[in-house]
Amino acid sequence: MKIERSPLQLLEFLFLLARMELKARYKDRVLGYLWSVGTMFALAFVFWIAFKIIMRVEMENYSVYLITGLFPWAWLQVGTISAARSFVANAPLVREMGLAHAILPLSNVVAEMMHLIFVLPLVIAWVFFAGGYGPSVSWAWQIPLLLLLQVAFVYPIALICALANAYVRDVEHLLGIGFLVLFFATPMVYPISMVPEPLAHYFELSPLYALMQSWHSVFLEGALEPARVAYAAGFAACVGAVAWLCYRRFAPRIGEVV
Amino acid sequence: MTPAVVCEDLWKSYHLHRPVGLKALVVGAAKTRETRFARQWALSGVNLRVSKGQAFGVLGHNGSGKTTLLSVLLGTVPADRGRIELQGRVASLLELGAGFHGDLTGEENIFLYASILGMSLRKIREQLPAIVEFSELDNAVESPLRVYSAGMMARLGFSIIAHCAADILLIDEVLAVGDARFQEKCRDYLRSFKQRNGTLIIVSHSMRELASLCDEGACLELGKIVDSGPVESVIAGYTGRAAAVGAARPPVQP
Repeated sequence: MKIERSPLQLLEFLFLLARMELKARYKDRVLGYLWSVGTMFALAFVFWIAFKIIMRVEMENYSVYLITGLFPWAWLQVGTISAARSFVANAPLVREMGLAHAILPLSNVVAEMMHLIFVLPLVIAWVFFAGGYGPSVSWAWQIPLLLLLQVAFVYPIALICALANAYVRDVEHLLGIGFLVLFFATPMVYPISMVPEPLAHYFELSPLYALMQSWHSVFLEGALEPARVAYAAGFAACVGAVAWLCYRRFAPRIGEVV
Repeated sequence: MTPAVVCEDLWKSYHLHRPVGLKALVVGAAKTRETRFARQWALSGVNLRVSKGQAFGVLGHNGSGKTTLLSVLLGTVPADRGRIELQGRVASLLELGAGFHGDLTGEENIFLYASILGMSLRKIREQLPAIVEFSELDNAVESPLRVYSAGMMARLGFSIIAHCAADILLIDEVLAVGDARFQEKCRDYLRSFKQRNGTLIIVSHSMRELASLCDEGACLELGKIVDSGPVESVIAGYTGRAAAVGAARPPVQP
């Protein structure tokens, strides 16, 4: 009974949904892409003024450090928050779909990943002009690996948030606060070497830090620390298991609570 | 005749699973009175049997559980108790604009909705001209959906489910917004769909439409089936009871 779906058909469905999200994001405006990129560069500029000029962070290539951290972070934050809204915002769709709800938040995460991929040439150009070095050959496998790692990392969190938000609508607002705290609690606009000792130790334990530090080390040093990648992947696997349990428990009723 | 849709002793309650805010979690939700629109059981003990190639009409007042019944059959809303069996592929048109996205064009929405219904991209591309042709929307399919009227959306929605090769169609009162000629076109399509051994379950407040399409029907009242059988007798019973209710309620003072 019900709608039969092959894996290929699900993949096509995911593609259509992600395209829908991206289109909605750029809103058909000619400059839609530039607006969203411009916002991030403006944010980077503000942090550069605040930390480099005013607070005098001692760091080589600080602007590269900023740019290569902010864009992956934006994917993480925007992806999770829009995914958290996905069930509620697409309520008519959820009510008509019947199954495969999990694909909705995934489409948000994938759409934000596509956005990052579209921005990558600009980031690489920034590295070239501000950092003074060209793209390294190893990026060809390091960047795709990190993209996959981040999908695996963000998606379970996004799925849990989306389920929670369908039942308790306050979640999307709590997420905004949570991400604000995490943004500054994850060394990303300042180097971890500036953090005093007992605190630095805790900051380093954060799986988010492992993920962001991986992006940084790829763009700044062309290197990827296997230990950090494994740590982030392990965390993703644990959250993934929790997300799967939550999904099995709460997804069947999603059609009537949204 | 082989049954295409069977459900037995269906019970469904929304009561326990209402979306809550933090405040309601902490303070506790206020208790509600049992009324037509807010009662414990949205469906209580519904039995249904629709044979292949038949059209089944569902009648009832607003809030009697008709849409819930369709949603439970579709599987988007789980039943609390009971057995449901559907033979074949299901397509549904439960609410206007469902599965549609306002920022996308009509054509992009065709892709999205057909994909929800389980069609492959290749199949959708194949069917696209036929879908647009059936909807008569012509080059309006290139406009974003937010500029569509309700009637245009109904045209788009119906055209898609008419081309998705389903065996069972669940349609909930969405054709009412189409113009008379398009409604007639849809009825013609549904008749041919029946002749091809398709099964139809339709919710409508248009007695004429139900009488002209359906073979059998059922009337829901407060989530219970109060009457079922040949559609003419169900309609007659329903209109009789509705008149009695109307007489019992005091007229509105101007």
